[in-house]
Amino acid sequence: MKLYNVKLLTITCEILAQKNIIEILKKHNISGYTTYEVEGNGARGLRGQGLQIEKNVKIEIIMREEKLSDVIEEISRTMFADFALVLYVCDVGVVRTEKF
Amino acid sequence: MEILQLIQSNLLTPIILFFLFGIIAARIKSDLKIPEAISEFLPIYLLAAIGLHGGIEMRNTGFENMLIPMLVAIGLSLLFTLNHYQILRRLGKFNIFDSYALASTYGAVGAVTFSVGLSFLKNQGVSSEGYLAAILAVLEPVAFILAIFLTNMAVSKQIRAKKQSFTNDDSSDIDVGLNQTKTKLSQVLHESITGKAIVILLGSIVIGYIIGESGFDSIRIVFDEMFTGAIVIFMIEMGIIAGQRLDDIKKVGIFLIAFAVIMPTFNGIVGVLVATAMGLSLGGAVMFGLLLASASFIAAPAVLRHAIPQAKPSLYITSALGITFPYNIIVLLPIMFAISTLVHSEGTIDLFNYALKGLT
Repeated sequence: MKLYNVKLLTITCEILAQKNIIEILKKHNISGYTTYEVEGNGARGLRGQGLQIEKNVKIEIIMREEKLSDVIEEISRTMFADFALVLYVCDVGVVRTEKF
Repeated sequence: MEILQLIQSNLLTPIILFFLFGIIAARIKSDLKIPEAISEFLPIYLLAAIGLHGGIEMRNTGFENMLIPMLVAIGLSLLFTLNHYQILRRLGKFNIFDSYALASTYGAVGAVTFSVGLSFLKNQGVSSEGYLAAILAVLEPVAFILAIFLTNMAVSKQIRAKKQSFTNDDSSDIDVGLNQTKTKLSQVLHESITGKAIVILLGSIVIGYIIGESGFDSIRIVFDEMFTGAIVIFMIEMGIIAGQRLDDIKKVGIFLIAFAVIMPTFNGIVGVLVATAMGLSLGGAVMFGLLLASASFIAAPAVLRHAIPQAKPSLYITSALGITFPYNIIVLLPIMFAISTLVHSEGTIDLFNYALKGLT
């Protein structure tokens, strides 16, 4: 089976930053993403305990390479300073490339 | 002396004891935890109960007499927010974002504090005006909107000043700045009004108003008799969260610790006196003071994190939840009750009864 190369962008951030991320994605015409609530420890201390609004969330977005650098640029420019956030990119293969 | 006695007997109520118990559980690193679904459900339940009571009361008393207290509450809340800002910015030397975020956190109202207040009054056998629930709903977005508006104005002014030093042709930038402010404000307004706290509160007020006392009988067991018990369960959770944050209190600095105690005291006492002057009952004046004294720690972070992302949430959550909330429910509530009793002359008998109850 032929697999097409696309990029998987994974963002782990505080739950209140999720909406900003999704707005940025929308701006770049990306409508598909997956989120799940997570816990963890990092530069801003142990997260995921206590108040619901202090939880962390992990967002996975599959996209074509052309969009990737614009999205990452916007996220780093507008959000790195103020929010607890890490992101990384991997190469993944998909069957139906027209979906992304 | 009477105030000390009131505080002492307030300490021994189940609400406060379970709160302190929660703090201890967190300090000894117990894995005790209220299941997430329940701690999410309880604020909704508490607001529904507050709203129903308020609605039923309003059916009995009508709307007319609620207008002036509501407008006064909004005015005081705005005034206090500006006052907090000046104190934090000038005396506390906080940056503009933290100052506005903290100012609005302390200008906003705390629904959990309000529930504890109602239950405190119930314990004293004192009632309060039902329309205070409506004021709680209206007051919630007021301080945020003011703070966000002023923050955005200040930021766009800074941008304009910077731009002006480069070029004189800057009209378009101002427009962009103003438009951004507008969209941000309308978003905040929309989010606050459609937020779950206000929706459930207003919905319950309307339903309470429709069903009245007779319709309430069938659900009384859940929304009246279980009210204090539900708060007690929620207090375990609040205690655990506050306990986990005790270490952070050192980080917020001595100025903010003092601010988190002195400001609510001042606001609360002013609130009690103003409410008494407006003719509110003994209990109503206490609740009015509590509305102005309380700081928001559930709604505030959710709103402020988007509207003023530059402000540090560790400052406003820790000071509101770790310092002001315990102080309000343990110390300030009895103080305001004592003051309200003093200024309502007929209330002295209540105080006497209460002191007796505390001794036995």
